[in-house]
Amino acid sequence: MTQAMHELVKRLLDGEIGLEDLPLDLQAEGGAALERLGQFDRAPVTLSPALEARVMREVRALARRRPLWRWFVAPVLPPWAVLAAMAATAVLVVSLRRPSPTRPAPAQRGGDSVYVRFVLYAPAARQVSVAGSFNRWDPQAAPLARMDGGGVWSVTLPLPAGQHQYAFVVDGKNWIPDPAAPAVDDGFGRRNSVVAVGASGARVL
Amino acid sequence: MTHLGEASDGVIVRAVLTGDPERFAELVHRYRDRYARYAAQMLGSVDAAEDAVQDAFVRAYRQLAQCRDPENFAGWFFLILRNRCFAERRKGQRTAALDEQVLELPGADRSDRKAERGEARRALQQALMTLTAEQREVFVLKHVEELSYEEIAARTGATVASLKMRMHRAYDRLRNQLRDHA
Repeated sequence: MTQAMHELVKRLLDGEIGLEDLPLDLQAEGGAALERLGQFDRAPVTLSPALEARVMREVRALARRRPLWRWFVAPVLPPWAVLAAMAATAVLVVSLRRPSPTRPAPAQRGGDSVYVRFVLYAPAARQVSVAGSFNRWDPQAAPLARMDGGGVWSVTLPLPAGQHQYAFVVDGKNWIPDPAAPAVDDGFGRRNSVVAVGASGARVL
Repeated sequence: MTHLGEASDGVIVRAVLTGDPERFAELVHRYRDRYARYAAQMLGSVDAAEDAVQDAFVRAYRQLAQCRDPENFAGWFFLILRNRCFAERRKGQRTAALDEQVLELPGADRSDRKAERGEARRALQQALMTLTAEQREVFVLKHVEELSYEEIAARTGATVASLKMRMHRAYDRLRNQLRDHA
């Protein structure tokens, strides 16, 4: 019972040929089919303004029950040996408990915040920043400054107590974990570094 | 894709995954209507589309750590919504009740002065509901969303040849449906 549409009319509807390319005896059918297609409803659809609130209600309930970031942070630590080799090319200094000439002591700053110094050796970089859970992963929030025109970049940031993940962003596009610190898998094939900040200082994890 | 000062999808996804679930609202706001018409055409009504979109967002949140390319959250979200629409169609293959809902789509409203045009549109919408979910999808993406076969292939993972085959079967079926109707 089913009657197939002529192949050329299908190609017309696909936009591969024009009406004038059809043989005369198919032009009426082709024209009618095109007209049918033109009548199709293409009005945009806008969903209820309450949609966001409904989604977020469920998201909050889920976040309370089982926070995503617990799964995310689940540490899959790479072998230390690999990290040691990587550390040879770049250095991150996180403020430690004991002051030393090269590693500034943590300076207490209201509440439980501690100044943490991030350092990366990247001589070819034009721009370096540090993005992490402490600045909403905003690559623009914390630029590092090039020290004395050399290849060492650094910035000191006050971080609240707690565990933070971070990565360096080189030239605005390359996200790299801290070569001098262990990293955890970020779930997207990239790795993030982790720093733990406490009242008495900070240490990489 | 993003305006100056707006966080990219990747930045937001990372923020959500590292302990800031509230930022998921930015993704919902950004993509809530982008595929609404697709979902409405696939499911036959705006109400069903809204349920599907809501569900897809919640599902996306749960599975966010599995989003391999956070900068392309939109493409990933589309696949989740698409699965939801297909599952719904399979589950339902709903009967007359859903077919009636087709008419609730905006544009097919009573204010349409050209009664004939409204009638033709109605017939086309109903005929579309008789297609399989796969045929219907390719029709909607090509003739409503106005994507090329290549773009549809990139989004859905099907080959251009198989998409054309589906579409051409859909044309045959629509033709017969509409001829019966006429």
